[in-house]
Amino acid sequence: MQAVLFYAISAALLLSAGMVVTSRNIFHAALWLAVALFAVAALYVMLGAYFLAAIQVLIYIGAVVVLAIFVINLTRSVAGAPVTLSRRWVIPAALVSALTACLIAVALLRSGVPPGAAAGTASGTAAVTEPGTAAVTAPGAAGPDWTPALGRHLLGDFVIPFELVSVLLLAALIAAIAIVGKDREDEK
Amino acid sequence: MTGAPLTLGPLAVAPISLTHYLLLAVLLFCVGLYGAISRKNAIGILMALELVFNAVNITLVAAGRFRPAPDAVGQLFALFVIAAAAAESVLGLAIILAIYRRRVVVNADEMDLMKH
Repeated sequence: MQAVLFYAISAALLLSAGMVVTSRNIFHAALWLAVALFAVAALYVMLGAYFLAAIQVLIYIGAVVVLAIFVINLTRSVAGAPVTLSRRWVIPAALVSALTACLIAVALLRSGVPPGAAAGTASGTAAVTEPGTAAVTAPGAAGPDWTPALGRHLLGDFVIPFELVSVLLLAALIAAIAIVGKDREDEK
Repeated sequence: MTGAPLTLGPLAVAPISLTHYLLLAVLLFCVGLYGAISRKNAIGILMALELVFNAVNITLVAAGRFRPAPDAVGQLFALFVIAAAAAESVLGLAIILAIYRRRVVVNADEMDLMKH
């Protein structure tokens, strides 16, 4: 059950990611990006990271994709022609990314990653016969919900990175306003 | 050498493990890499970079989840990556918009003001 879910989500993720990078219409690419990010959120749910899945949907799909669509609309060519994408260096790009994939995958498979906590999946396959108790999303041994631990980390031993991130976001906000809003002041 | 034999057959029938998630992240990373190299539109490049960030996040969350003693630190790092990616996305799109207003270009190879 879990394996079927994983392969289905993976296929959807890779398919939509492929559409993001190959679609000739930039607007369609942005919509496929939303699908890919949603598939990543589904993977987070499979991994038991519920809070992160919610954050993924809120920030990535709700903010980043919408922002990208806004900018696509704002930069659309004045002549009215749809913004089509011409691609450059398709063959070198495919070569580089395929070789990188081979390199990392071979290194990963040869390094003998510890198989990890695969204990929960055995019960997952057995749970097909007994519905309702299948621990599909939370096979973790130490509790399914990580959100309280996440909060304790954020306000405990990781409080300084947490504050630095908030300063970073504030700086990015101010900088974005300063960059984009500058032209209007010049015109006046 | 402790390396496992390089066959993907056992992986297809094994229960979902860390290796599955890492392989998926590798594939997603390289799809994003392909997009970042081959795209001409600057917004397209930024969107391909988002795919790369998500591949890294899958790696972090899966590594935290499949540790012998699972904890939330992997998710915490992913949270920080999401925040940094949001800041990067906002700034990148703002710069693209500013360049478009001044010079009416969105293609990365036409943004060559600093070349000359």
